[in-house]
Formats: sequence, C-alpha cells, structure tokens
Amino acid sequence: MLKILLPTIMLVPTIWITPAKHLWSTTLSYSLIISLISLTWLKSSTESGWSFLSPYMATDPLSTPLLALTCWLLPLMILASQNHTASEPISRQRTYITLLTSLQIFLIMAFSATEVIMFYIMFEATLIPTLIIITRWGNQTERLNAGTYFLFYTLAGSLPLLVALLLLQNSTGTLSLLTLQYTPSMQLSSFADKLWWAGCLLAFLVKMPLYGAHLWLPKAHVEAPIAGSMVLAAVLLKLGGYGMMRMMIMLEPLTKELSYPFIIFALWGVIMTGSICLRQTDLKSLIAYSSVSHMGLVAAGILIQTPWGFTGALILMIAHGLTSSALFCLANTNYERTHSRTMILARGLQMVLPLMTAWWFIASLANLALPPLPNLMGELMIITSLFHWSWWTIALTGAGTLITAGYSLYMFLMTQRGPLPTHIISLDPTHSREHLLMALHLLPLILLIPKPELIWGWTA
Amino acid sequence: MVNLAAFARQYWAHIFVPTGFVIGWYLDKQQDQKLTAFRNKSALYGRELKPGEEVTWR
Repeated sequence: MLKILLPTIMLVPTIWITPAKHLWSTTLSYSLIISLISLTWLKSSTESGWSFLSPYMATDPLSTPLLALTCWLLPLMILASQNHTASEPISRQRTYITLLTSLQIFLIMAFSATEVIMFYIMFEATLIPTLIIITRWGNQTERLNAGTYFLFYTLAGSLPLLVALLLLQNSTGTLSLLTLQYTPSMQLSSFADKLWWAGCLLAFLVKMPLYGAHLWLPKAHVEAPIAGSMVLAAVLLKLGGYGMMRMMIMLEPLTKELSYPFIIFALWGVIMTGSICLRQTDLKSLIAYSSVSHMGLVAAGILIQTPWGFTGALILMIAHGLTSSALFCLANTNYERTHSRTMILARGLQMVLPLMTAWWFIASLANLALPPLPNLMGELMIITSLFHWSWWTIALTGAGTLITAGYSLYMFLMTQRGPLPTHIISLDPTHSREHLLMALHLLPLILLIPKPELIWGWTA
Repeated sequence: MVNLAAFARQYWAHIFVPTGFVIGWYLDKQQDQKLTAFRNKSALYGRELKPGEEVTWR
C-alpha cells in the first residue's frame, strides 16, 4: 500500500525542485511508473478478499479497480494539461501539477481506507483541490458559480452522512469495514432509522449524481479545465458509487423498501438526461449529461443490491471512467484549436484531422456501449438485474440505451461530419501527445475485454 | 568534477520518488511480517489447512 502512496507524496517535492524545462516530462514519467506499479494491486489471492493490509488501509476486489483507475489517470491528466498551461508562469504550472497529485493522494486514501470515517474525511478532502482547480484554472467567470454549486451540493449532502456515521459508531462500536460486515444486522424500523438510512446514502447519491441532485455536475464539468473534467468524470463520481456499495451492506433490512423511489428516480434520470443530451449545443455539457445518465444506471444497479447489479455497476463505473475521460480529452483538442465548446462552430473536422476522427469514432462507440466493450457488459448486467426485479424497468432502461446511442451518434456526426465552417481558416495539426493520450485511454478499455475478472469485484 | 556537481544540482530532485518507493516497500514488508504472527489465528478467517499447504497466505 505504502509503496504506492509514499512515492506519490514524494512526487510533490519533486514537482517543486525539478528544473522548469524537465517539469512535465519528469512528473509524467514518475506518475506513469507509479501507475504501472499500482497494477500489482490487481493481483490478489487472499481468501478474505482483503490484501495489502496495513493498520489503516487495505484493498479488496471492489476497491482495486478504482485504485488502479485513480493511479492511471494522473499521467493522463498531466499529458492532457501540458498544452493549455504552457503559457502560464512556471510556479503556477507547478501548483497545478501539485494539486493534481494531491488529488491522487486523497483518492488513494479514500478508496483504500478500512475505516468508514477515514473514507469520509478523504471524500471531503478531495473537494479542496478540485475546487481550486475549477475556480482557478477554469476559462470563464461562471467558474466561480460552478465552484459554489460543486462545493455546497456535496457539503450539504455529506454533513448528514457525518452524523449518520457517528450514530453508527455509537451503536456498533466500530466503523472498520473489516469487522462491520460481520456485525449482526440492526433492528431498524422507526422513522429515525429511516432518516438514518437516507443520511447514509444522500451524500453518495449527490456525488453520483442522482437525477435531481445533479445540477452541480454539468456546471463543474463545463467550467473546469481539462484535467478537472477528466478526474471529475473518471474518479470523483465513482467515489459516490464506491461509498454506496460500502454502506449498502449495513443498511440491509431497510433498503428493500426505501430504495424504490431512488431506483425509479435514477432510471427516470437516465432518460431525462439522455434527452437533454439530444438537444445540447455545448460539447462539454453534452458529455457531462451523458455522465449523469450513465451514473444513473450505476446508482440503480447498486440500489437493486444483487451480485449482478453490484458487478455491473463496478464494470460500468470503470468503463465509463475511461470513456468519459477520453471524450473530455477529445473535446479539449477541439477547444484548444477553436476556443469554443459550441458544436456547430467546429463541424466537419474529419476533413482536417482525420486521425482524430478515428479516436472520436472509437470513443463514441464506447460511450454507446458497443459489444464487446466493458461498457456493454456493465450495462447489460445492470439491465438484466433490474429486469429481474421488475419487468417495467425494461421500458426505462431500453429507452435509455436507445437515447444513449442517439446522442452518441449526434455528437459524432455534429463534430466530425458535414462541411467545414468557413470561419475555420487554419487549425493546428494534431500532436502525437494527443494521440498518445487517446491511446492510453482506450487501450485499457480494449484490454479489459478479455479479462473482465479484474473489474468485476466481489463476484470473482 | 565540475560536471558531476552540475549534474547533481540539475537532477537531484530525482531522488525523492525512488526513496519514497524504497521506504514504502520497507514499511509494507515490516507490516506484512507483523501480520504473519497472526496468520490463521483469526476467529473470522481461520480454517483447516489443505493437504500440502503450509500457510493460509503469504
């Protein structure tokens, strides 16, 4: 555990001491080495499921894929930010990379925490660097508003969680995940117990985000710089899913009835946000709403509480993390050239950047869950377990997948096909850095097709 | 010698991450050794050893 965490912490002094001309290459190579070492987490053979134990941290099949994804994302974020921060003073570039690194430190500690309260603290700690990244490096003045939404939605959701966790500590005497799953299930029946149930899940449902509590997400995504959007879509939303899966075990008897409205809300959200995507003009906003739609499916899969639902949710979270991050990178390559997120202003890019179109094509297909990509496996498992619960859900999930295919196609056609607008006179050619970035996003996705057991969690 | 000093001054930042790895690796190893003292003694996870098996985990 520490052999990943300590090098990541040591990356911070390295960032500040490395000579300016080597800054990006040094941090990129070190973060890549750290992420390659982190792949050792994926190999675990203990019977209890917990491995790489230390007094406060451990990994299990649920957290390892998310940990590996977190470590994988730092080099990608560094690679993606290189161009747009190039014009800034060197100390600000160093601050920027330091913030990204601190985010990885907090996220590793959040996903590997064995105490729920430590998870909670790290869950909150990730807010600070993300908030600074959005409000300091965003492109427009609306970023301050987006930062406020982001902070207060999450805080308002998670303060009840703190109270709920302290109550749990009071009644069970422990918050350790290793022992908590073996404590006898509590007799929960009163109204206060139901409030406690809501308190335990609300923070994660806001973070996911559940439809209705999702308004902070498109704002944050649209205003954040590329690295902020990437980490938000790929990992920070997954903190919600991960936390829900962890808490679900303790809420056993109550969830069966209380989760109904939330499942319906999540599925309704899949359709509604999908429909919003169909009429988006803003590229980043479209990808953000598509994230809300996919995470709605994940929320439903977790709330249904079957092994298939959990497995599907985890697979979809990892697959969506890579796909949406890739789409944000592609949107950023457009943005860096045209300085606009409006899709109609940058059409027909296949004529100018044909190889980039190939990446757009693969990423769009991954977003609409093309077989045999893990995206489809995750969606299929969730849809199946939902269908087993109630036949009526197929109307919602079916329409959801149809709309997803629709807006993915819309996004692809809108940006890549058609005539080139006349105002585009000259565009930078694509950099090999950008192609490398896309390859590093989509290769893991393709490599996961033959080895899904790495990301299917407890069922393995 | 001047070159060596200049080289060291330019690249000494590279010492941090490998040092972090080595310290982390050492602390992980210490922790594992501490945990092997309790191997198969847990009430929750203890079990009969399979034939030919020396310990439950390494």
